[in-house]
Amino acid sequence: MAKILEGPAMKLFNKWGIPVPNYVVIMDPERLAHLGEANKWLRESKLVVKAHEAIGGRFKLGLVKLGLNLEGAVEAAKEMIGREIGTSVVRQVIVAEMLDHDEEYYFSIAGNRDGSELLLSNKGGVDIEDNWDTVQRLFIPIDETPSIERITEAALKAGFVGEIAERVAKIASRLILCFDNEDAQSIEINPLVIRKSDMRFAALDAVMNVDWDARFRHADWDFKPVSEIGRPFTDAEQQIMDIDARIKGSVKLVEVPGGNIALLTAGGGASVFYSDAVVARGGSIANYAEYSGDPPDWAVEALTETICKLPNIKHIIVGGAIANFTDVKATFSGIINGFRESKSKGYLENVHIWVRRGGPNEAQGLAAMKKLQEEGFDIHVYDRSMPMTDIVDLALNT
Amino acid sequence: MSILANRDTRAVIIGGVAGVNAARRMAQFDFLVNRPLTIQAFVYPPEAGQQKEIYRGGELNNVTVYASLEKALEENPQINTVLIYIGASRAYQSAKEALDAKGIKLVTMITEGVPEKDAKRLRKYALEKGKILNGPSSIGIMSAGECRLGVIGGEYKNLKLCNLYRPGSFGVITKSGGLSNEAMWLCAQNGDGITSAVAIGGDSYPGTDFVTYLNMFENDPETKAVVIVGEVGGTLEEEAAEWYGQEVRRIKLIASIGGTCQDVLPQGMKFGHAGAKEGKKGLGSARSKINALREAGAVVPETFGGLSKSIKQVYQELLQSGVIKPEPELDEKLLPTLPPSVQEIMRQGEVIVEPLIRTTISDDRGEEPRYVGYAASELCEKGYGIEDVIALLWNKKLPTREESEIIKRIIMISADHGPAVSGAFGAIIGACAGIDLPQAVSAGMTMIGPRFGGAVTNAGKYFKYGVKEYPNDIPGFLSWMKQNVGPVPGIGHRVKSLKNPDKRVKYLVEYVKGQTTLHTPCLDYALEVEKVTTAKKDNLILNVDGTIGCILVDLDFPEYSLNGFFVLARTIGMIGHWIDQNNQNSRLIRLYDYLINYAVKDERAVPDKK
Repeated sequence: MAKILEGPAMKLFNKWGIPVPNYVVIMDPERLAHLGEANKWLRESKLVVKAHEAIGGRFKLGLVKLGLNLEGAVEAAKEMIGREIGTSVVRQVIVAEMLDHDEEYYFSIAGNRDGSELLLSNKGGVDIEDNWDTVQRLFIPIDETPSIERITEAALKAGFVGEIAERVAKIASRLILCFDNEDAQSIEINPLVIRKSDMRFAALDAVMNVDWDARFRHADWDFKPVSEIGRPFTDAEQQIMDIDARIKGSVKLVEVPGGNIALLTAGGGASVFYSDAVVARGGSIANYAEYSGDPPDWAVEALTETICKLPNIKHIIVGGAIANFTDVKATFSGIINGFRESKSKGYLENVHIWVRRGGPNEAQGLAAMKKLQEEGFDIHVYDRSMPMTDIVDLALNT
Repeated sequence: MSILANRDTRAVIIGGVAGVNAARRMAQFDFLVNRPLTIQAFVYPPEAGQQKEIYRGGELNNVTVYASLEKALEENPQINTVLIYIGASRAYQSAKEALDAKGIKLVTMITEGVPEKDAKRLRKYALEKGKILNGPSSIGIMSAGECRLGVIGGEYKNLKLCNLYRPGSFGVITKSGGLSNEAMWLCAQNGDGITSAVAIGGDSYPGTDFVTYLNMFENDPETKAVVIVGEVGGTLEEEAAEWYGQEVRRIKLIASIGGTCQDVLPQGMKFGHAGAKEGKKGLGSARSKINALREAGAVVPETFGGLSKSIKQVYQELLQSGVIKPEPELDEKLLPTLPPSVQEIMRQGEVIVEPLIRTTISDDRGEEPRYVGYAASELCEKGYGIEDVIALLWNKKLPTREESEIIKRIIMISADHGPAVSGAFGAIIGACAGIDLPQAVSAGMTMIGPRFGGAVTNAGKYFKYGVKEYPNDIPGFLSWMKQNVGPVPGIGHRVKSLKNPDKRVKYLVEYVKGQTTLHTPCLDYALEVEKVTTAKKDNLILNVDGTIGCILVDLDFPEYSLNGFFVLARTIGMIGHWIDQNNQNSRLIRLYDYLINYAVKDERAVPDKK
């Protein structure tokens, strides 16, 4: 899953003939004034200015300003750019034409195992959740393109009438094309608006997810996906992602503020079970972490040091299943180096470390970990005979 | 008995180095259960025609790499299974070809990062063809005692620990690869081991699902219970629950579902496998899956750690009801031991291997090369120069500051001697013929010998002999030389003479004698010899080879190393000439015929061959 920002989404809509309002993405408010000289719509339309960042609840934060003229838009852009929200900074704003409109519609398409499903409603906008029963669904099997007649039929069922139904069907068919050809996972347009005087349509707001694994066949994807965790990435997360992009295997980190049990776990499957075990026993996790696919020891070391720095942690769970091919000795040497380095910098004071692991070279890896006791670490090391998540029970019972 | 893979499975791997590594792991299992090699061919166009070395125990097999699946199957019609180890961008095409191939019943794909659309299309295609597409992102399939597809099961020791050399009574289906191994271990530790274990992969749209394999296990009489490990996202676990609850099933079902933690995490915060994503309104949440499975009658412990107890409990019940009859355990000592590699047993000190070569100057096994123990970077940092490195590598000791200054000067004055001498001229001819640097410089290098530059070693050697055997008897030395060697190496010059001395010799001698405290018995002796020889003939002076040779002997360099100074120094010059010719884009040269005296026979007719 890779959520993309409105700007890139609009660009893809444009490419596939889905009507969008005029818009520009800018980093410098002065640039907007210059653009105003070149573009009539900026001078003559009412404008909306939105922070072009992966920040949830932008409206409440004052990061969406409506009904502005060009001057007002420049002011709003000046206000927003550079504003710090939590750990992130607003660097870009999107300025779009606010289309006066008569009606708001809801369009979405999302993939499922057998193909995808198109959703249409003529009661879009902020109240769509309340009008969920008016949504008309059209299932589209893999590799099939529904005929315009079938889409029109769905539009009519959804309550669209006459020429509008025909136009809606045409836009929906383009949405399907865009979804299919851009390896999208979901696209939600809410609202798609219409100005009946000139029958002009525009997608005013949209959320689009693309399949980042498919980027190898999209040379024009000049964007990066935004954070999927409901907030921008922290520096530590970004740093681990940068390492992840460079190595064989992978390292992952998500910080969970407020928790006191840190996870330094191996494997995409096992690491989730460790998080579950902490929650099931009434604990709270300080992070989610995962290393897998036999990553190099230095990458695991960097992940370890990052985790040791998490604030207020009481326990570190160095857990993992019995690895198929990740070398326990090698990855543990990265963890051990990370622990040593962190300790020398004053971290890990009063932190209990719990280890459970199996796999290639497990005996040497576990023995090396156990030796940390001699260096004054509060570390408890278990082999495969300890049930996988039971070290969490032990940690929470201390 | 087993599902999917058995003793009759013969497979081809599509992919490069990762595939070869997997084949090697698989051959370890083949050795353990004493079956023929599972992997019979590779398909990887860049390496088509090559053979890969695969050891089954101590037996070396060469497995051919083919350019296409079609070709591989044509020559190996016994193959019925395809393993895909190729990159995500080519995985779709490879899998489709594999599904199309006649005789292929099972395709299992380890490739990660396959686009969802591709995975969905492959799933549909496999269903249409009535074949199994396992994966993407699957670690593989294991049938205890019969067949291993992929690296599932880990290292050899683990195969034994998990009793994978003989079938048990538990089936295993997981999304995660790591947890398939863990689940196999739990079945061995708390039950009697597994029949088969399948990892279906943690992607959003795997080619198969739990139900596919639950049906197979239900129809496999040896499988009495199945352990499934699922996670948040999708509906495969709910479908498994529905299947289990539909009618009375022969197999017992034990399940563990990951992702309950996501109920309490901040909204939108998701992690784990690509497929581990909760849908709208709690659809596919771990909790709903757990509830569905429990309602259908499956045993679902609260945490993964509780799985041990659940398996043990089900196993005990099956034993008590007589469904599973305990069999005497095999003596593990009877199992074959994997022949270790030479490196492994050397590490344990159980074998002695006579080294092929010995070195006393340089060690590359650490983070950086060490010259006679000193790290190269540390030498640089402490202000040592190339002359010190030469002394270290050629004579194994660090010279004093005075000594290294002399070495530096010897290299500097010998670096080049114009384009006309044999070495430079050879390199220039090479450069003009368009020959690359190393070869053209070697052409110049081959000129170094008795008549050009190669006299340093012999000069040093014989003057040293003179100092030792004829210390105060120069005429005695000269007559010994005349009798046993011939002209004295290092004495004599074609153009230089007493009246027209070689500036380089003069400088070196004055520098060494005037500005250093070096004790120079050999150089002194040579200068005495020069006095005698120049009395006979004006040009029998101590030449530059002789001077350098003597100084280097006085510096305690081994005799046979002395030519090295000329070779090293002159290489600098010859590289310079090669670069110079290339800079000028010099043309191919040949001798003008007026520079050749054609002292040959006149034209004549060739006689008939006798």
